[in-house]
Amino acid sequence: MSLNRSFFVPLDSPLHRLNPLTKLTFVFAMILPAFLSLPAFAPGMAIPVLIAVFVGGVQRQYRGLLFKLILPTILFMFFMQSVFLPIGETVIFQLGRFDVTLEAMQTAFLTVSRIFVMVSSFAILLLTTHPGELMSDLTRRGLPPQFAYVIISTLQILPQMQAKAQTIISAQRSRGLDTESTFLKRVGAVVPLVGPLVFGSLVEVEERAIAIEARGFTSTRPKTSLHNVPDTNADKIIRWIFLALVILSLGGRIWLS
Amino acid sequence: MAIVNLENVTYKYPLTDSPALQNINLRVDEGEFVAVVGPNGAGKSTLCYTIAGFVPHFFKGELTGTVEVAGAESSTSSLHEWVLNVGLAFQNPFNQISGAKYTVFEEIAFGLENIGVPRDEMKVRVEEAMKLTGISDLADRSPYSLSGGQQQRVALTSILVMQPKVLVLDEPTSQMDPIGTREVFGVIRTMAERGMTVVMAEHKVEWIANFADRVVALHEGRILLDGKPREVLTSDILLDKGFGISRYTSVARKAKTRGLWTRQQLPVTLEEAAEGFQDV
Repeated sequence: MSLNRSFFVPLDSPLHRLNPLTKLTFVFAMILPAFLSLPAFAPGMAIPVLIAVFVGGVQRQYRGLLFKLILPTILFMFFMQSVFLPIGETVIFQLGRFDVTLEAMQTAFLTVSRIFVMVSSFAILLLTTHPGELMSDLTRRGLPPQFAYVIISTLQILPQMQAKAQTIISAQRSRGLDTESTFLKRVGAVVPLVGPLVFGSLVEVEERAIAIEARGFTSTRPKTSLHNVPDTNADKIIRWIFLALVILSLGGRIWLS
Repeated sequence: MAIVNLENVTYKYPLTDSPALQNINLRVDEGEFVAVVGPNGAGKSTLCYTIAGFVPHFFKGELTGTVEVAGAESSTSSLHEWVLNVGLAFQNPFNQISGAKYTVFEEIAFGLENIGVPRDEMKVRVEEAMKLTGISDLADRSPYSLSGGQQQRVALTSILVMQPKVLVLDEPTSQMDPIGTREVFGVIRTMAERGMTVVMAEHKVEWIANFADRVVALHEGRILLDGKPREVLTSDILLDKGFGISRYTSVARKAKTRGLWTRQQLPVTLEEAAEGFQDV
């Protein structure tokens, strides 16, 4: 089992070299027009997102996410919305008692386009940005360190919690707990797992709080960072461009509506 | 000169009736290595937390008496300033890993980032500390991929890099296997030899006998004995009160009743026992 779970792929691409905030701006420059601008915009936003995948050199990892996570999710949503949305008159075909209309399919397509753009652009951010660098850059810019700590440590500690849950399950099973038969029995089997896991975690949280406190976590001195996260002029220019694009797309919507 | 000074310290955890520490008077001189022994529930951890400032700042509760370290008084200091003078490491190495860092190098630098050490100085200090504790080869590993002994050495290094004046250790080897124990004790020994002031709660009496300057025996929150390691660790009082004592002390004590141990001083370590038994 990988103990160090993060999506980050260590490469040296133009996207990897960008400042984390620039990539975060990219994410919002994709998402905001997809959600708030003209509906016709949403599918189009997939193009810059896919170009970014290639610029970042993370096609293989993105493909993995696409087939395992993104496509199953959006196909399911597309099906549900097409079949069950009670809108429109233009019936294309019938599925049992349900009419599948053109309007419902159009709405479904818009929704899944937006979801695709949102999840994919975040995926690009995570694939090309070391989470530690993302947080240290955001902390330097004023994000409360406690907030950054909660995000990073959760990402790291979750796999440890999973491993621990597995140990507890094995321990309970060795004492005859049934975790593999009927659904109801399996649900019942979760109960003796919760106590040790939750109470054990509470003790751990206290100890971890002591440990980070002992290392000056609540110090009022200005914090420094081990890693220098470069923020070049090019970064700043790119961020302004993204911002301008967002304003243009939203302005366009207001203008045209 | 005393760097740690506890006077008439009594402490009660919140929502409890009986004090965890009662009328503790303890002075630790600069460069001294003091081991704290006692059965479970004797107050060893509470004493460690008190010196490290977590009692009462973190645990709250009721503390009377005075706790001084390096001239500062605990009740009038804030915890985040206090920890700059006193480093604390405890039993479970896993829970001492911050969880916020991806490599051992970053993990050790975490404390220095928090207290605002400039980047260049930070790197030098982390490298030096890792060299000192012998973990330079782990620099790029994930802290979560290490063995217990390695994790504990990372935890110790993370504290040492902050250059505290006093190192407080609460049973740092209690969850280690023999190899891990040896690794961790190796680091502590290096620290003691370099003249660092160490206060360590520990059960492994044979090791204490070899390396501590002084042993304090705690029982039900009070100091029962305070003296030279061999005097304290072989005292009859410890046996009566249910302290863990060395098996060599037990054997020699029984042998003495049958005239098979002729020395005045009972042994604590294997070497001492072997020498003593050669006399008869």
